[in-house]
Amino acid sequence: MRTEFQTELDRLESLLQGEADLVARALRETLDAIKTQDAGLAGHVIAFDDQVDAHFLAVDSGIETLLARQAPVATDLRLVLSMLHINLHLERMADQCVNIAKMLRNIQPAGLPDELIEEFEPMGVRAEQMIRVAMDSFSARDVERAESLVDLDNLIDDRNRLMAKRIIELGGDEQQREAGLMAILMSRCIERIGDNAVDIGEQTAFLVTGSFREFQDASHGAGA
Amino acid sequence: MTTMTDLERQTTPVPVQEEGDAPDDSDVVFDVRDLDVSYAGKVALRGVTMKVFRNRVTAFIGPSGCGKSTFIRCFNRMNDLIVGASVDGHVYYHDEDLYDPKIDEVEVRRRIGMVFQKPNPFPKSIYDNIAFGPRVLGLTDALDERVEKALRDAALWDEVSDRLGANAFGLSGGQQQRLCIARCLAIDPEVILLDEPCSALDPISTSAIEDLIVELKKQYTIVIVTHNMQQAARIADRTAFFSVETGPDGYRSGVLVEYDKTSTIFTTPADPRTEGYVTGRFG
Repeated sequence: MRTEFQTELDRLESLLQGEADLVARALRETLDAIKTQDAGLAGHVIAFDDQVDAHFLAVDSGIETLLARQAPVATDLRLVLSMLHINLHLERMADQCVNIAKMLRNIQPAGLPDELIEEFEPMGVRAEQMIRVAMDSFSARDVERAESLVDLDNLIDDRNRLMAKRIIELGGDEQQREAGLMAILMSRCIERIGDNAVDIGEQTAFLVTGSFREFQDASHGAGA
Repeated sequence: MTTMTDLERQTTPVPVQEEGDAPDDSDVVFDVRDLDVSYAGKVALRGVTMKVFRNRVTAFIGPSGCGKSTFIRCFNRMNDLIVGASVDGHVYYHDEDLYDPKIDEVEVRRRIGMVFQKPNPFPKSIYDNIAFGPRVLGLTDALDERVEKALRDAALWDEVSDRLGANAFGLSGGQQQRLCIARCLAIDPEVILLDEPCSALDPISTSAIEDLIVELKKQYTIVIVTHNMQQAARIADRTAFFSVETGPDGYRSGVLVEYDKTSTIFTTPADPRTEGYVTGRFG
């Protein structure tokens, strides 16, 4: 029944997973650019964002057409709405990579101090893991797994705070302080990618349960 | 470790959804130019110009009296059967003017089949309903295979293969409509005209017919009149919106307002009259 509609739903979900793969690749290149302090690689990360944007637009316009033509209801409607949100979260993640790449380029040739560079990799690996968990749990409609993103996010938040501590410890001259400022902004970008992954997890829960709730209460809770 | 050039190599093209669009002139099946249709001297449809493309579903929508059924009947000269009906303008079918006096309208109706609002099987067996057209046309070689293929293509074979000798009136309404589609397919048409084929059917049977239409467009060109706007949205590649306007002669008659990709008609229609109709604020 309604095979064309189902085919289009499947196509959009697969396109969304493809977009997530691109975002994960952009993040990996960003982390490599930080590690190697390579302005050229940072430039490629910036250029690569066009591909993510193309996927974003394809999903976005596909959803617009699907809503207009197929009038989805019930689970189908929730799937479409959740894909609309997830699409935006993925696009924002890729933008965070671009932000990092731009800052990285701006602080060349001096670059980041070594003791800060080494803090980024474990934090970034955690963010990569979160993208995978977010998209896999969405694909499997697995709410429990989606909720595990909160714990992973807390680890990233801890890393972000640790970064702030390292930067304060740097002290030093004006150039050091400028590099420190950039580092905290870059760290904040990765922390936001984690938040976006949690947002995706919340969409999985919405899709499965039919009601939206935040996994953690950012405005009243004690966490970052 | 990833090298700098990896990202340059890793281009991932976005899969493009064609949505039956971008037809070119080689895909034109019908080319309608400045068509007027009158009943007893009163213009019912005025100045229609449009093209219908091969292997696509083209839907006509619009309020009652907008001339959409009148228009679809021009594609196989069914209006000839209505006393007092007259047609001005041109309907080219593969560059041949269907209203040229030299044209054989029976041959036209063989190549351009039609299915109506109410299922109208003959009071015969399922088999004889399908075999009727081929027998009339002398296509009796491998008739069993022809009947089976038509029923399979109309997604009805699995439901009737064990009772081909049973009377067609014993089928449900949805099955009868698919039987009528199969009857149409049995004589190898190029085009299938459907005039509100689901309006007498329940939602499940409607869904089955809609799936069938999407499947059939791979082999046939489909034109459908529907009063169900959402049906056009769901299954058509291109949609034409007709409305009723008062002409210079003071008569109210049907006009073609807008004709475009279905997604455009239902997301960003160009004409405010189309917008008013699809959003339910007019008509």
